[in-house]
Formats: sequence, C-alpha cells, structure tokens
Amino acid sequence: MNKLQKAVKDIHIVDEGEAGRKGQGMVHPLSRLVVTVWYILLTVSFPKYDLSGLGAMVVYLLVTGIWEEISFKEALGRIWPVLILAGAVGIANPLVDKKVYWESGSLAVTYGMVSMVTLMLKGIFCVMASYLLIMTVGMEGICSSLRSLHVPREFVTILLLMHRYLIVLLKEAERMMQAYRLRAPGQKGIHVKAWGAFAGQLLLRSIDRAQTVYESMLLRGYTGEIIGKRLVAGRWSSLCYAAFWALALAGIRILPVFQIVGSLF
Amino acid sequence: MHMADALVAPAVAGTMYACSGAAMGYSMKKVRLENAPEKIPVMGVMGAFVFAAQMINFTIPGTGSSGHLCGGMLLSAVLGPEAGFLSMIGVLLVQCLLFADGGLLALGCNVWNMAFYGCFVGALVIWKHVMKNGMSRKKIIAASILGCMFTLQMGAFSVTLETLASGITELPFGVFVSVMQPIHLAIGLVEGLITAAVLVFIYEARPELLWGYNACGPENAPVGRMSYKRTIAVLAIAAAVTGGLVSLAASSHPDGLEWSMEQVAGTAELEAEGGAYTAAGQIQEATAILPDYAWKSSESVTGTSFSGIFGGAVVIFLSVGVCYMLRFFKGRSVKHE
Amino acid sequence: MKDINIEDLTFAYSNKIEVLHHISLVVESGESVGLIGANGAGKSTLLKLLVGLAEGYQGSIALGGLRVEKKNLARIRAKAGYVFQDSESQLFLSTVYEDVAFGPRNYGLAEEEVDGRVMEALRKMHIEDLKDRQIYRMSGGQKKLASIATILSLEPKVMLLDEPSIALDPRNRRTLIHILNEIRETKVIATHDLDMVWDTCERTVLISAGRVRKDGKTREILRDKELLEANGLELPLSMQRL
Repeated sequence: MNKLQKAVKDIHIVDEGEAGRKGQGMVHPLSRLVVTVWYILLTVSFPKYDLSGLGAMVVYLLVTGIWEEISFKEALGRIWPVLILAGAVGIANPLVDKKVYWESGSLAVTYGMVSMVTLMLKGIFCVMASYLLIMTVGMEGICSSLRSLHVPREFVTILLLMHRYLIVLLKEAERMMQAYRLRAPGQKGIHVKAWGAFAGQLLLRSIDRAQTVYESMLLRGYTGEIIGKRLVAGRWSSLCYAAFWALALAGIRILPVFQIVGSLF
Repeated sequence: MHMADALVAPAVAGTMYACSGAAMGYSMKKVRLENAPEKIPVMGVMGAFVFAAQMINFTIPGTGSSGHLCGGMLLSAVLGPEAGFLSMIGVLLVQCLLFADGGLLALGCNVWNMAFYGCFVGALVIWKHVMKNGMSRKKIIAASILGCMFTLQMGAFSVTLETLASGITELPFGVFVSVMQPIHLAIGLVEGLITAAVLVFIYEARPELLWGYNACGPENAPVGRMSYKRTIAVLAIAAAVTGGLVSLAASSHPDGLEWSMEQVAGTAELEAEGGAYTAAGQIQEATAILPDYAWKSSESVTGTSFSGIFGGAVVIFLSVGVCYMLRFFKGRSVKHE
Repeated sequence: MKDINIEDLTFAYSNKIEVLHHISLVVESGESVGLIGANGAGKSTLLKLLVGLAEGYQGSIALGGLRVEKKNLARIRAKAGYVFQDSESQLFLSTVYEDVAFGPRNYGLAEEEVDGRVMEALRKMHIEDLKDRQIYRMSGGQKKLASIATILSLEPKVMLLDEPSIALDPRNRRTLIHILNEIRETKVIATHDLDMVWDTCERTVLISAGRVRKDGKTREILRDKELLEANGLELPLSMQRL
C-alpha cells in the first residue's frame, strides 16, 4: 500500500469511528479537547526518570478507549513514527547517562535507559490521546470546539473545506499516479521531466474546483461562515467530564499511583 | 521535521504557541483587509492539495530515492504569505490530528518551524525580493531553491533549539546541529527543485495565479504594503524575541509545569534513589490515607520498582475491568429504553 | 408570470470572444424547458448569467421579476436553485445532511425548520437513508441526487440544472428523470442528453454558437433530424430506433 492509499485509509478509519458515535454526544467536543490537552501537558511534564509515575497515565487511555469502544489495533500503526523519532532523540541518553538504576546479577538498567524508555512512552501516550480525541469528536467536533474558542470563522471554514477535499484530492492524485505507472513501468516515482506538470495539473484543477465551490456556496447564501449543527451535548455532563478528568489526571501526576496500590498488598 | 508532543516541554510549547498565534493573528488581519472572500475556499482546497502533493514521490535523478515538495513556499507563491500561512496551519493541524504527524502540544513549534519560515521568510522576503522587477522562469527557479533551502535551514535549527530547550535529550548541541543542518540542506535543495518545477509549470500555464504576478505590470499597484526593509526588521525582531524567550525558558526552568509541580508536591527529578518516592510518601503521610509504604520500609530501588510494577498491574486490571463492567450496563440501559 | 425574462442578451468573457448573441427568451412559471446544444454552445454560460455568476452582459435579464444586477443578487439567489455539473464541487461539506442544511441555515431559519426542510428535500429525492453518509463514500448518482436536494431545501421558484444526467448509469438516470418530473417548480435543464429532454421537458430551446436557433415544442424539435444535425446534435436514441 502506498502513502496515498494509506492516507485515504487513515481518514476512513477516523470517519467511521466518528459516524459510529453519532448521537452519543453527551460531552461537548470542547471538553474532550481540553481534557486531551491537559493530559498531554501532564504526560510531557513527568520527570525523565519517573517511569512508574508516567505509567499510571495509561489509565486514561484505557478507560476512554474501552468506554468509547475504540479499536486500539488501528491506533498501533500510528505509533511507529513517534517511536522512531523519540528513539532517535533519546538514543544518546543510555550512552551518556550510565549511572546504574537497578541491578540484578549481570543485568543492569541505567538511568539513561530509563529516561529513553520514559521518553518513548510519553510519545506513545500523547499520540494515543490525540487519536482518542479525533476518534470521539471527529474533524467537525474539532472545528466546533475551535469556534467556541473564538478561532476566526474564516480559519474554521478553511479547515472544514480542507478536510472535505483532502480525500477527493488524495484519490485524484492516486488515480494520476496509477495512470502514470501504467505508462511508465518500473519507475518508482515521478520522473524529473514530469515533476512540474504532474503536480501542476493537480494544482490547477484544485484551484478551478475551489472556484466552483465558492460559487456553490454563494448561491446558497454563504455570508462568511459555515454554520454547523447545534450540538446537543449536555452542559453539566460536559463540565463534569472535564472536571473529573482534570482532577483525576492531576492526581495521577502528583501521586505515585502504581507505588501506592502496590504497597497495599 | 514534525516535532512530536513528547519532544517539547510545556514551557517551550507555550512560547512557540504564543509566537505562532501572534503570526496567525497578524495574517488573519491581513487576509481580512484584502477583503477577498473567494480566496477562502481556495485556501482550503489548496491546503488539501499540498497534503496530497506531499505524498507523491518525485524521483531524484541519479539516486534511488525520492523527494517531496515544500508546502509553505508553494502555498505562499499562489496565495501570498499571509493566506499561505493560514493554509499551512490548517495542513499541520490536520496532519497532527488525522495522521499523528506532530502533535497538539507541539503544533505551535511545528507551525513556527515549517509554516512561519516557509511563508514569511520564503515568500515575503526571498520570493518578493527576487520578483521585484518582474517574474521570469529563472527567477522562479532561483527563488524556490533559495527559499526552500534557507527556510528549511532555519526550521531545522529551530527544531534543534526547541528540543534542547525542552531538555529531553542528552545529545550535545554540536552533535545535534551537525546532524540536522546538513541533512536539511540536501532536503531543501530537492524540495526547492520540485517546488520550482511546479511553479514554473503554473507560470507557463496560468501565470495570473501566482502571487504578485499582476503587480509586475506597470499599471498595477504593488501587492504588499510592507516594504522590504520593514519586513526584514519585523522578522529580525520576531527572531530575537523568540530566541530570547526560548533561551530564557531553557535556562531557568526547562519545564515550567514540572517546576510548579515541584513547588506544590516537593517532587522533582529523582535525584537520589527513592528520593521522589519518600517525598511523595510524605504527602501521603500528611494526608494519612495509607499508613504503610513499601518504599518507606525498604529504601532499595528494587523494592519500590517491584511494588510499582505490581501496583501498575493492579491499577490497569481494575480500570479495564470496571470499564468493561460499566460498558456492559451501558449497553443494557440503552436496550431498556 | 414570467419567471425568466431575457431580452436581447449579448455576453462576452474578458477574453473578448462573444459567447452569446442577441438572445431573447421567456420562461413562464411552472414550465420545464430543455436547453440543448452541442459542447461550447453557451448553455452553461446562459445559466450562470441568470444567477449572476458571470458579470458584464448587454441587454436585460430578469429572474422572478428582478433584474439581474449586483443589488438584487441575494434575492435572486434565494429564488433560483442552481445545480452544478460537478456534484463533487457542489457538495462541499462532509455529510449529506450538513450540506443540504447549509443553505437554509444561511437564511437564518430556526434549527427545527432547517431540519424539516432537509428531510423534505431528502424525501423528494428519495435519499432519506443517505442522511448521514460521508459524501466521498457515495456513488456519482447518489451525489447528483444529493446535490439537487441541497437546492430543494432552499425551496426555489426556479431550478437551473447544468448537465444533470452526465456520468449517471442508466438506472440512476431513469430515477433522476422520474424525480425531475415529480418536481413542480420551473425548471431549465441545460444538456445534450436529448432523450432526457424528451422525457422531462415539454418545451425545448436549441442554442448553437451562442444564438437561439429554435424555440418550440420538444416533440417537434427533437424529431427534426436536419435541424439537429445542422447544429452538432443527433436525433435522440429513442427516435433513431424508430
């Protein structure tokens, strides 16, 4: 599967996830966005050796994922890039930071190793939190949250249109690639002679399409804002949701939850 | 070049959000001044185009590998720097949400590193300056290559600074820079060439679509109201402020939130073995919910580690179990209704 | 009542090539008119002029009694529904419901009323089941029906359809014809699908090279082999078999 096809598949997964949850909107997308940002902030702020403290943050991911019935299998594919990136940045830690953290026989764990693993775990958690967010509220939820946050309406319109035409253009590019490959067997990408024309054609078509889109908007009374549907989310349930997770996550951040529970037994 | 959430400290992320937010506010104002509502759909669809186009592999002659085009430069060359910048923010936001490229926290950094330099330095300074006395094929190629290489270098350097300021790697500055810069020099050249090819195609097919093309005619007024010197001055100040803020944040508290946590809970980095745990234990003792702690009786890391692992297993097991139970009842109550 | 009244219309795009020459045309309320002609005859341009999407014409155009000029555009567009040739561009929001609701919401209707209008439009097009469907997941035929629904939800007096049957398979085309016949509003259908005109319009206007060549009963014009061939068209397939 090439990149274009994979991108189309990724969008399908998110849209399906979103469609499956239509009508279950007890919690306003803004609450979820706030909780997600708070989660990421707290996750990132864990000290670099505090692996067990950080580990407790997994609770939010598990609870949300299971409660909202989101498949973790699809999420795994998204983790690899960040694992590689965090690994590359953190690779120096075990080499530099060689102080021994824990030792058993010939097996030794250094502080550097702990900090590298912590970093990678942070990466996974943050990606997973964003994934759960987009799977529960979808792009439209994000846009309506942004409007509630007073992000300019023009920008939100841009986002909505971008999201709508993303898949159209991805598929168009994929069709062009196929047509190209059929006539140029054995070539992996676009030959240097066709660089400009290939992407340029797609660009010109995109601009023409934007022109028609604008006309279609005008003819139906567009005056500068795409008015979304009114959300039926409960005010109190949204507030309670945000308050609960804000406190719970702060608690996990301050108290070493795993240690405390372990000490009970 | 997308930075992940885990690689930025909240203080750095906040600083970069502020900088990118300011640039966005400025761009929004400029775009509204233009009063061209028909441009909004073009910005949306062009953003989607950049997205799709960045996934096309362009074969680099003489090598087996392939390159991609540079979004910031291309968007700005068609839409102008401010509108291009807004489109790029959209692209980066969609990338982080739909494809896990970058992250919500790192978005401010990514917008700055990729969109700001690409649109404002690449287009407002380099492109505009090169096109001052009219457009031509050669000038488009020169501006694209120069713009891509230069802005990518600035972006890569910012990534290095932001990562180091976040204090998450032991990598020394010199090593980091000497890895980042040359790689991005090569990438910049390739991106520049591809971007140039696309823009030359547009120039030959429909030149009126390019930013500032109409301004080249003698009867038309210049497109931007900002002079070149003033642009440079504004950019220099922006760069200085950013640099200052980032280094300030880095030198005092690499991690603002962590620092405040320390003030609140007395826990910071684990300096001595079990240090943090005893500190945390003190809070526990104060609140007196749990009288006995494993890490209190045995100061060894082994003890605490094992109790941590065991505790972790219990917590995860409980939360998963409770969730499934609740979900079971959720399903039932729905059916009852 | 004259829903459309065009008098001596001449139009040229900025590149100075005249597209329409001295066109006069009156469409009465409730009429269904087929606007036929070969590619490039000026059909689409004529439709676009009616809703003010192209500027700078000579002569006069009035829609629903209002002259087509800048100050009247908002009111004209509230009366006229324009269905674009490319449904992909017409449907710019993510789901069918959202897109059909776009117009009514812009006219400031209350959400209950918007919902009523949307459901009514979907019902008329027989696509209630596609309500929450993602647009990119629909077939070409479904998209066409949905894009007509986006116009119906505005309850237009006049419907302008640009090549509505293009890229539809026979079954979808049949459905579309059936639905178009159910809609009572004034319709102008620009197309070179003569069989569809035969099935949907009583009156036909033949345009060629920017001029009206013939204006009359569909049954007569579409049987006139010589006239059609002289203007780059052919007899409808159903006629050819006879």
